[in-house]
Amino acid sequence: MTGTLIIGLSIAMMLFLLAAGLTIIFGMLGVINFAHGVLYMVGGFIAVEVVNQTGNFWLSLLVAPLAVAALSALLEILLLRPLYDRDHVEQLLMTFGIILVLDEVVRTVWGLGYHDIPLPGSLSGAIPVFDSDVAVYRLFLIGAGLIAGLGLFALIEWTKLGIVLRGAMTHPAMVRSLGIPVSTIRTIVFALGGGLAALAGTIAAPLIPIQVGMGFGIIVDCFIVVILGGLGNIRGAIAAALLLGLVRAFGQQYFPEWIELSTYLVLMIVLLWRPQGLFTFSKGRKA
Amino acid sequence: MNIFGKAALFAAGAAALVANPALADEDAFRVGGIVSLSGAYGVIGESMRKGAELAAEARGGTVLGAPIVFEWEDTETNPQIAVQKASALMGKGVDMLFGAVSSGSTLAVMKVSERRGVPLIVTLSASDRITGEDMASNTFRTSNPVRMENTMMAEFVGREKLGKIYAVVADYGVGRDMWDDLKGRLDAVGAEIVAEDYPPLGGRDYALIIDKIKKTDADGVVMIMTGGDAITFLKQSGQVGLKDEKQIFGTMVMDEMMGEAVGDLSFGVNSTLRYHFAIDNEVNRAFVESYVAKYGVYPDQAAGEAYDGMAWFLDVVEETGVWDQQAWIKAFSTSTNTKSLEGVKVMRACDHQAAQSGIFGKAIKGEAPHPNVTMEISYQFDSETLFPACD
Repeated sequence: MTGTLIIGLSIAMMLFLLAAGLTIIFGMLGVINFAHGVLYMVGGFIAVEVVNQTGNFWLSLLVAPLAVAALSALLEILLLRPLYDRDHVEQLLMTFGIILVLDEVVRTVWGLGYHDIPLPGSLSGAIPVFDSDVAVYRLFLIGAGLIAGLGLFALIEWTKLGIVLRGAMTHPAMVRSLGIPVSTIRTIVFALGGGLAALAGTIAAPLIPIQVGMGFGIIVDCFIVVILGGLGNIRGAIAAALLLGLVRAFGQQYFPEWIELSTYLVLMIVLLWRPQGLFTFSKGRKA
Repeated sequence: MNIFGKAALFAAGAAALVANPALADEDAFRVGGIVSLSGAYGVIGESMRKGAELAAEARGGTVLGAPIVFEWEDTETNPQIAVQKASALMGKGVDMLFGAVSSGSTLAVMKVSERRGVPLIVTLSASDRITGEDMASNTFRTSNPVRMENTMMAEFVGREKLGKIYAVVADYGVGRDMWDDLKGRLDAVGAEIVAEDYPPLGGRDYALIIDKIKKTDADGVVMIMTGGDAITFLKQSGQVGLKDEKQIFGTMVMDEMMGEAVGDLSFGVNSTLRYHFAIDNEVNRAFVESYVAKYGVYPDQAAGEAYDGMAWFLDVVEETGVWDQQAWIKAFSTSTNTKSLEGVKVMRACDHQAAQSGIFGKAIKGEAPHPNVTMEISYQFDSETLFPACD
């Protein structure tokens, strides 16, 4: 039971890491970023490259998110900024275009094969937790998810930058009148979201194969978390990821054949009953 | 010649081509390659392309005196797209089709290509339906079918004396069919099924299934999973030492390509192998040498099987000496490939399946120049064991 709980928490934290960037971008920019998955993939490939060149997994945790954040900033400035005043469909199509281009770039640079990041020695092995053996890396994953969640929450809720970020999204004219460039704030938000996707790709790399197209599979899970948690709601995303992770963990024990179906049923019910998400209780602050 | 004369000549030429389309093709032997060149199976399709093209090169790039020309199309591992691409290639007058990767795509293409009478050579898709209930007069499989893979796995269980088996089966049609067939064979060798799990295709977390397996008294874990799913399972199970407690085995779940993605956690994992570069015969040694020289890596299973099937079919086409697809089909259905990379393969006219020997391998640490994870051939099974006589 305790082992299942810990594994469930690790699944939840992975889901949160995957969805955090997406929810921030949608909540603050109003952009449905379908390219989130491909940024996660690019993060994984950059991490592989860093580990191959330096043998240092910890360095990849720093380099990959920063590199993808820079790439995301560039994409936002060049491709999305001209579209903010247009229909949402155009933004959506642009993010689809980004997927196709980046997939092809990654394929050209790294090929179609599978790539691996071996576990660093300090995170290898397993420890017994009651009746289960839990991989040390799972504990690291839980810790990383919690730190990322708390960090994001603190950034948006308690810092001056967070106040400016929220203000720029809800009252851009007011923020602009204070001499703060709203367009730069938007770029920062998109870069932050991209960096979080890359962080998820790097942390996932020792658990899954890194390959072209790996971003497609995660996007559905990301949207489930974002919809359940409430668009742009970080606390909601953490709660939704926990709910989903633990349901999957205990579901695997007791009703494995029904997990996927029940997940999508819950999603549909939430969309009909509480389209604002299970964890959004007012139209005000969402963080 | 006036305009009417030119028009009459053009019309006569066009009529001749319509009456005998093969005439238009004799300047080149056109191969329509329909494989996955993107997505999760893209790496397999790419290997098939390399193997097939090398087979053409090995014979000087010609057959029946005409240059062999490949046209590759990406099926995106989608049967509908595979049919569209195959139809377009046949519309362009290809002389044969080669592919696909997934059984679903192959089964779909078989139907349309049979209507057009274009030979289809299958070197990877394993569904029993291809040479069973859906067998087509134009389609031949030179690689392993599911039943052959299952027979090898049951033989492995018997020889390793694994009494209790836990099954992890990817939840898709071919996977479930394969498992249904394997269950009966495991029962026949006295193995008990402890439990079975059906994770969805594309799963990213198997920790809970692995935890359940560890808590059982199973001696062996059979994996019926493909590509990325198998890699994910092996990485995550290796992190908690599952392979140190139980024998992990499966169908095409480990080779050098998979080993590159799983890393050192691969060591000790067992798998059926369609082909391996270490098969010790003169033909294979020559192939491996030319493949390494051309591509700089050892050929994987998909490349080896593609080369084998393509080389065999081209040899038969050459032997017929005529430019006639139906003659090629007829000749191939009773042919024997004595120059196979895997020894000898015999095409069975009854089901268009190549009877052949089979191999099982275990992942070990490779010594240079071999990859870090290298398969060691642990068992070989003869053709008679794997292919009962046709009814």
